[in-house]
Amino acid sequence: MSMLDDFLRQFINPYYIQVLMLLGIYLIAALGLHLITGVTGQLSFGHAAFMSVGAYGAALINLHLDLPFLICLLAGGLLAALAGVFVGFPSMRLAGDYLGIATLGFGEILRVVFMNLEITGGARGLAGIPRETSLLTIYVLVILTIFALHRLQNSRFGRALVAIREDEIAAECMGIKSLWYKVGAFAIGSFFAGIAGGLYAHLLQYLNPGDFGFARSFELLCFVVLGGLGSIPGTVLGTTILTLAPEVLRFSSEYRMMMYGLLMVIMMIFRPRGLLGGVDLMRLVKRVLGSRRRGTATPAG
Amino acid sequence: MYRKKKLTALVVGLLFVFAVITGCGGGGQDTAGGDEVIKIGFLGAKTGTHAAYGVPTLKGMQMAVEDINAAGGLLGKQVVIIEDDHRSQSSEGATVTQKLITKGVVAIVGDPTTGITKIAGEIAQSAGVVLLSAGAVGEGVVEIGDYIYRNTLLDKLAAPVVTKYLKEELGWEKVALVTSTNNDYSVGLSKLFRNSLAEHGMEIVTEQSIQDGDQSFSAQVTAMSGKQFDGIIFTGYYTEGALFMKEVRAQGLDHVMVGGDGLLAPALWELGGDAVEGSMVYTGFEADPEGATGKTLDFIKRYQEKYGELPDMFAAQGYDAVMLIADAIAAAGSDDPAEFKETLKQTADWQGVSGTITFGPDREPIKSPVYLLEVKDGGWTIKAVIPVDL
Repeated sequence: MSMLDDFLRQFINPYYIQVLMLLGIYLIAALGLHLITGVTGQLSFGHAAFMSVGAYGAALINLHLDLPFLICLLAGGLLAALAGVFVGFPSMRLAGDYLGIATLGFGEILRVVFMNLEITGGARGLAGIPRETSLLTIYVLVILTIFALHRLQNSRFGRALVAIREDEIAAECMGIKSLWYKVGAFAIGSFFAGIAGGLYAHLLQYLNPGDFGFARSFELLCFVVLGGLGSIPGTVLGTTILTLAPEVLRFSSEYRMMMYGLLMVIMMIFRPRGLLGGVDLMRLVKRVLGSRRRGTATPAG
Repeated sequence: MYRKKKLTALVVGLLFVFAVITGCGGGGQDTAGGDEVIKIGFLGAKTGTHAAYGVPTLKGMQMAVEDINAAGGLLGKQVVIIEDDHRSQSSEGATVTQKLITKGVVAIVGDPTTGITKIAGEIAQSAGVVLLSAGAVGEGVVEIGDYIYRNTLLDKLAAPVVTKYLKEELGWEKVALVTSTNNDYSVGLSKLFRNSLAEHGMEIVTEQSIQDGDQSFSAQVTAMSGKQFDGIIFTGYYTEGALFMKEVRAQGLDHVMVGGDGLLAPALWELGGDAVEGSMVYTGFEADPEGATGKTLDFIKRYQEKYGELPDMFAAQGYDAVMLIADAIAAAGSDDPAEFKETLKQTADWQGVSGTITFGPDREPIKSPVYLLEVKDGGWTIKAVIPVDL
C-alpha cells in the first residue's frame, strides 16, 4: 500500500499528503460523531476521548502483540465502541446539555487515566509506534465509513435514530426502545472514532494524552455542526473546510486563528443550520439533473 | 431575500477561494529554487501553550542567521529561516515539519518540547533532514536516528555535577530527598540524584514522597524534622516546591532546597516568599551581564540591544543550534544533510554562547557549564557556574 504512496509522492508534495491524511482521519472521526450528534441528537463533548481509546488501544496492541496493522486498527475501534457503550448508558437518564457535561467528564477522566498509566507512557507519552498509515488506507476507510453510514442512516435503525432525535417520547410510543438505539449509536460512532484514533497513532508515531483533550472534542463537534447536523455531505464539507482553513490561512501568520474564528462566525451567521443543514443533496442533484433534462427538452418541443 | 443570501454566499466563497490561492502560493514553492540560499527551518509554537519556548528560540535563531549572513554567509550562500507556527499541537507539529521539508530546508531547529520533537524526529529522519532540538530534555529523542540531535543540558549530566558541588563547595554530607511520585520528571530526577549521591559518598537520611497537586506537606516535614541533615534535594515542580518550603519554615527548620529546572519559574518566590530565599536551581543557561565573558557576554549585550530583554535559555540554545548546524555545514563543505550530519556528529569542545558542547558517542550532548542559581530577594542570582568535566 505504501508503494502507492511513494508513487503519489512523485506528483503531490509530502506536505499536501500529510494534510490530506490528517483530513481523512478527522473525516472518519467526525462522521462517527455525525451519527451520535447529527443523526441521534445526543450532544457529545467527549469524542476525542473515544479517539484516544482507539489510538492507545491500536498502538499498544501493535507494540506488544505485534499483530497485523488492520487487526490492531479494528481492535482499537472495538475498544472505543466498548467505551461508547459505557458512556451510552448514562444517556438513558441524561439529555441535552447534561449529557454533554457527562461526556465531557468522561473525556477528562480518560485523559487523566492515560496520563497516569504505566503502559501508556504516562505524561511522557507513547513513542516508537511504527508508521503504518498510508493515504490509500485512510481514504479506503473514509469511503467505507461514508458508505456504511449512508446505508445505516437509511435503514430501520437509522430512521429510529432520527425519530429519537425529533421526539424521543413519540418514538418510544411507536415501540422504539430508545436506550438500546442510543447506546447503539454511541457504540458505532465511537467505533469510527477509534478507527480514526488508530490511524492517527500510526501516522504520528507518538501519542500524548494532551492531544485528545477537550479542545479536540470541541473541534470535531464544530466540524459536524458547521457542516450541517444530520447530513453526511455536510459533515464531509464542514470537516474539509475547517481542517484545511488553518493550513490555507498560514499566510496570515499570527492572525491565523483569529481569521479561523472569523470564518466560523461568518459561517454560523449566514448558515445557522450549518453549511448543508436541511439540504438533501441527493434530492438537489436529482432536481438539478431533472430541470436540465426538462430544459433541453423544451426547445425541441 | 434569496438574492441577498446568494450574494453573501458568493462573498464568503470568494474570500475562501482567495485564501486558498494565496495559501497555496506560499506552499507551492518547491526545492527547485534552493540553490542560492541555505534554508534552516524553525519548528516551534508562536501561539498556544508553548509559545513561551518557541518565540525566544526563534529570536535567538534570527540573530544567529544575521550574524552568519553579515560575515559573508555560508559556502558563499545566504542563510534564511523558514518558519511556521504549530499552535503547540502535535498533529500540526507533524504538518509543519513536513511543510518545512517540502520547502527545502536542510536542517530544522526544534521543537523546544520533547513530545513534538519525537513526532518531528521520525519525519525528519525518514526524509533525511537534520533536526536539532534546542529544548528537548526528555528520553528517547536522539535514539530516533542519526539525523536527530539536541543541544540541551541533560539532567543525567547535571545531577552529578550539582551533587559534587554540594559536597565539595557547600560541605553537604547528609541530605533529605523529596520526590513527587506522580510526576515522571521528578521520579526520574530522584533516581539520578540517588545514584550520584551514593557515588559521592553522601547519605540520604530521609526520603519523602509527595504528589503533584498536594496542598499540605506537614506529615512529610514532621517526619523530616527529627533527622539531622544539611539540605533538601527537591526534584518536583515549583508550585509544590514553594509550598513545601513554606511548611519547612513553619516547622522551624532552616534548610535550603536544591532542585532541577522544574523549579525554574518566578512563581517559586511568588508563592514561596521568604521561605525559598537561598534555594538553588540548576539550569543550562542564565544571562549574567556582569559575570559573563567573551562570546556569551557579546551575545547577551547584542540580544538586549536588539530585543530589549535579556536572552533566556531558549534564545541562547536557539542561537547555538543554528551556529552548530552552520559550522557543521562549513566543515563538511556541503549543505547536503547526509554529509554534514557526519561533521555535526564529530562536534567536540564547540564553543557556543550557552556553553561548550560535545556530542558523545551516543550523539547525546555533553554540555558545560551548569548554571546554579539562587533565589535572592525575589529574583535569581547566579550562585555558581560549574564546569562539567567528563
